[in-house]
Amino acid sequence: MAMSLEEVEAAIIAKANKSPKPQLYIKDFYKCDSERKPREIKNIANKLVTKGELMFWSSGSTTMYARPDRIKNEEGDSGVN
Amino acid sequence: MPKHDTPMLDELEKGPWPSFVSDLKRQAETHDECWDILGQMEMSYRDKITHWKHGGIVGVFGYGGGIVGRYSDMPKEFPGVEHFHTVRVAQPSGMYYSTKNLRDLMDLWGKYGSGMTNFHGSTGDLIFLGCRTEALEPLFWDLTHDLKQDLGGSGSNLRTPSCCLGESRCEWSCYDTQDICYALTMHYQDEVHRPAFPYKFKFKFSGCANDCVAAIARSDFAVIGTWKDDIQMDQAAVKEYMAGNYPSNAGAHADGDWGAFDIQKEVIDLCPTECMWMEGDELKIDNSECTRCMHCINVMPRALRPGKEKGATICIGAKAPILDGAQFATLVIPFAKVSKDNNYENIIDYIELIWDWWMEVGKNRERVGETIQRIGLPTFLSVMEVDPIPQHVREPRSNPYIFWKEEEVPGGWERDVDEFRRKHAA
Repeated sequence: MAMSLEEVEAAIIAKANKSPKPQLYIKDFYKCDSERKPREIKNIANKLVTKGELMFWSSGSTTMYARPDRIKNEEGDSGVN
Repeated sequence: MPKHDTPMLDELEKGPWPSFVSDLKRQAETHDECWDILGQMEMSYRDKITHWKHGGIVGVFGYGGGIVGRYSDMPKEFPGVEHFHTVRVAQPSGMYYSTKNLRDLMDLWGKYGSGMTNFHGSTGDLIFLGCRTEALEPLFWDLTHDLKQDLGGSGSNLRTPSCCLGESRCEWSCYDTQDICYALTMHYQDEVHRPAFPYKFKFKFSGCANDCVAAIARSDFAVIGTWKDDIQMDQAAVKEYMAGNYPSNAGAHADGDWGAFDIQKEVIDLCPTECMWMEGDELKIDNSECTRCMHCINVMPRALRPGKEKGATICIGAKAPILDGAQFATLVIPFAKVSKDNNYENIIDYIELIWDWWMEVGKNRERVGETIQRIGLPTFLSVMEVDPIPQHVREPRSNPYIFWKEEEVPGGWERDVDEFRRKHAA
């Protein structure tokens, strides 16, 4: 049975909480619901950023996703503000 | 007063050429952080290692691109560059600015940042260098609300699309580059401002094969104007060139002494497909062999023009990294109509075929050209729903085997071998 949107969001958040490294590539989330197309997963992950559940980390050339409480910014604070 | 001693950088002010060190010193008169750039750079020259750290979580609310975090790893020594973020501002199509717009941009950047710029970055954006984190949101507000301009792309986003100045000034442009650039920028706002892909993805639009935005060298999706029918030719004007009455290349090389114009040497012998010749005093072209390179048209613009049935060639997969692996784009779609009448739907269809495939099979930090190389052009052509043509082939094949697909074999893999052997003895 297809996963609901809420179930996919929860799977993405769980993946971001459990991964050894705090930053994940978008491809790391594809398996959270392999029935959905990559673009759908991308849209869900980006929505989670607007909800404050994830945040972007960018090297400048690549963008990754992380849980706000697992990543510190260079100014030494939590990313949440 | 200099804040830091910079003996090595001072050497770069000597000589007749412009010096970025002198520029930075002048900028430091109003923006003190520029002294710290010089101080940190002097230290990097001495230590032979960078003291910049790049990347991070900085950005503006709602956007996942346009800001590149940059920090000093020596913030106590150089507090002015403790934060020194890069802001990418989307350039106008064809890079047309009014002087008022440029002044407004510089006033804005002088107010919130270091005043240092890079016009333009290789994607085409205006690059503002050096801003503190707390200045990003106010800068973004003023940029979007007062100047009505937007940030460009960075990270794994669709990068700011760029184009040549196209039909606005160039009679050779085979389609309206600025219109499609603007239309696709608006169509793909989500992809420009938020990450979408395994890595960066760039569109570039050139109106003809002169390729003034170097689309074939720098973009994942290069749309390069071309034509399908014959080169338009004015034999009377050809004779004027041969008589020396019209300057070749529209006089672009007139400051050198190149001698009398020689159509054989300067045009016919330089045709890459050798499709031109003279018959008496008439120039002849075998248009079926013409590769639309633009050379002859560049040399004799009053005699030769692109054909009338215009469109674009689409080449996929260029990249120009600094370290290694630069590659030109590969021809995939020989000719596509580029028309605002269908809202560029056929071009969008091609783009999305690529994206759907690349997002699935592309590795992290792998440009689409690298994915094509890894998996193979035949697979990519089938993804693009394009039949192979000789122009897709770079060289005669060296692999003696032909790999058939099941649908290409009568009866597929499950055919009745006994029935086959009744007619074809082993």
